[in-house]
Amino acid sequence: MKPVTLLLITALAAASMAQPMHAQQVSIREQLIARGAPAEFADQVAAVVAAAEAEALPTEPLVSKALEGWAKRGRVPPERVLAVLSQTQASLRLGREVTLGAGFDPPPGAVVAAAAGALGRGISREQVLDIMTAAPEPAGAATGLTVAAALAAQGLDRPAAVKAVRDAFRAGRSPDEVLEFPSAVTGLRAHGESLADVARRILEGGGLPMPSQQGMGPQAGRPPGVPGSQPGQGSAKKKGQSNKP
Amino acid sequence: MSDSDRLSHDVQRYLDGEQVEHLDAGERAQADSLLAAIETYASRLEGPGSELDGAVMQAVRVKPVPTAHGSWWQWLLQPRVVSVRPALAAAAAVALLVVGAVGVSLRQRAGTVEPTAQAEIVLVRFELRAPEAEQVTLAGSFNDWSPEGIELVRSPDTGLWTGTLPLSPGEYEYLFVIDGISWIPDPSAHAQVDDGFGAANSVIVVGPRGVVRS
Amino acid sequence: MTCITPIHLDPATDHFTLLATRVLMMAALPFGSQGGLLIEGAKQSDGKLVRRILAGETDLYRILVERYRREFGRYAAAMLHGDSDDAADALQEAFIRAYDGLASCKDPDRFKAWLFRIVSNQCHNVRKRRRDHLSLDRVEDPAHNPADQDLERKEIGAAVGDALDKLSAEQREAFVMKHVDGRSYAEMAELMGVGEDALKMRVHRAREELKKHLKGLL
Repeated sequence: MKPVTLLLITALAAASMAQPMHAQQVSIREQLIARGAPAEFADQVAAVVAAAEAEALPTEPLVSKALEGWAKRGRVPPERVLAVLSQTQASLRLGREVTLGAGFDPPPGAVVAAAAGALGRGISREQVLDIMTAAPEPAGAATGLTVAAALAAQGLDRPAAVKAVRDAFRAGRSPDEVLEFPSAVTGLRAHGESLADVARRILEGGGLPMPSQQGMGPQAGRPPGVPGSQPGQGSAKKKGQSNKP
Repeated sequence: MSDSDRLSHDVQRYLDGEQVEHLDAGERAQADSLLAAIETYASRLEGPGSELDGAVMQAVRVKPVPTAHGSWWQWLLQPRVVSVRPALAAAAAVALLVVGAVGVSLRQRAGTVEPTAQAEIVLVRFELRAPEAEQVTLAGSFNDWSPEGIELVRSPDTGLWTGTLPLSPGEYEYLFVIDGISWIPDPSAHAQVDDGFGAANSVIVVGPRGVVRS
Repeated sequence: MTCITPIHLDPATDHFTLLATRVLMMAALPFGSQGGLLIEGAKQSDGKLVRRILAGETDLYRILVERYRREFGRYAAAMLHGDSDDAADALQEAFIRAYDGLASCKDPDRFKAWLFRIVSNQCHNVRKRRRDHLSLDRVEDPAHNPADQDLERKEIGAAVGDALDKLSAEQREAFVMKHVDGRSYAEMAELMGVGEDALKMRVHRAREELKKHLKGLL
């Protein structure tokens, strides 16, 4: 792709995203009406968001869900959107409860939202608490929960997903490194490992490899998991095991 | 079976939906009540819901294109999309400069991740094969799900639509929108999740070094 | 927003044909209307889709999956004691096998009949695995306050399901296709590869068995 074209694309993308920034200061009611929603619907959504705010719940997940539901209106009737918003609110309450239980007081909105999301994707309360305790700081808790939930959605066994994140934090990995995990999993699968293999590797204490710098630099072409490209693979090598190609 | 259990030829034809003259009133009533009972049963039958579609596609997605011989070596030769930062370092640097200028005003819509002190922006590439589409856009948590906001560009020969977004690290849910009508998941996303409205959203988790897709 | 590259549509090649009704619904949507649009926005024939999938556009398989989940979903449930979870298992397995063997579908334009065979087989398999599991209670509406009328309907529904269970596999299949799916005998013959007369006999016998079972309830 020509550099100029890439430039134009990103400029266009940035321009389209600059709009939401302005929208951040605009209420959800106004955003919906600006997108053609009927006033009654916009009012009902605004009421849900206001109620959540009054309860000190993070409102961003509700706003996002409402806009998503309206964007998908060809398929989603307004009552459904409101029903889903009410479910989202309930899940945020649960998230808040668990976050408080982990000792975050006041509970940061991002952590509450991440906890709600993780619980909604089948991560158990205990597992959520596990990750929150292991995380280096509140921002890390939100990231860790999001990543564990994403790994679970990729098909990784939940215990393995949670363990991968928890062990990484305990080993001193940063939230930024943990964000690489879903990519690491797809990288491993592209090289022939099954999800069961990945889960087993994690549960046996092997953890997830950091994706090497694919496509750039001298490491280019070295797939993750190949002996020598990652620290900590040495023991596997000594046992005479060869990594799968 | 006793005689009373038999259904006459006329009744059978009636039940087959054919026109039958001179159907005895008693027989007609009998037939109608049978139909009513069947309708009672049938109306309570429910087929599987739309989550099945995603489950099938998830299983099928890692398989190669079906061939008559299904050779394993063909599987190895299957191209896989690996998208990280573009290798065009110069272009990337220039683009980042542009992004940097507007980067301050980008909403930190990185799902649930708080922006760090220096929120890095990562260029993430999206692509979809849709040679017959007239328009492909992206709608997701990065742009408030606006279906007309982010247009992809079509390569005339391959029918591949691509676009590159500057994103902060974090999780994003999104879909492709084809011709403003079909909302389609991204087969190369990290995962597909329930959108709460009866369908699926694609999910990617963007790390500071980019995204490795399937 | 404008595209960078103008898109020129070559009229000689295929393009998505948008059904007029769907475009109208999107354009002038009174918000009170129930959308009910399929994710699939274009009505491409099975044959065309299969050929494109075999040519490498494997994402399109999803359209076939959704199409035939809707078409065969209730048939599968009826063949499996009304259990929609079992139906999901059978259909999922069927779709995966159909994908694996797609290249051996000799006539892509007759994909439906080819797929039906696979679905029917998977239903038999799942049914054999669950031989002891009768889940007639699944066919119920839990939210309802059981009024007398509803209880009676539930009883009738259960009795019909019970009766179907006792039929031979062939009679059950034919009966379900006729009375649950509402297919014509011609359509059934096409799908099942059996002559219309034979199918009529199976359905007629099935009805008589059903009547016997429902004695006293009707």
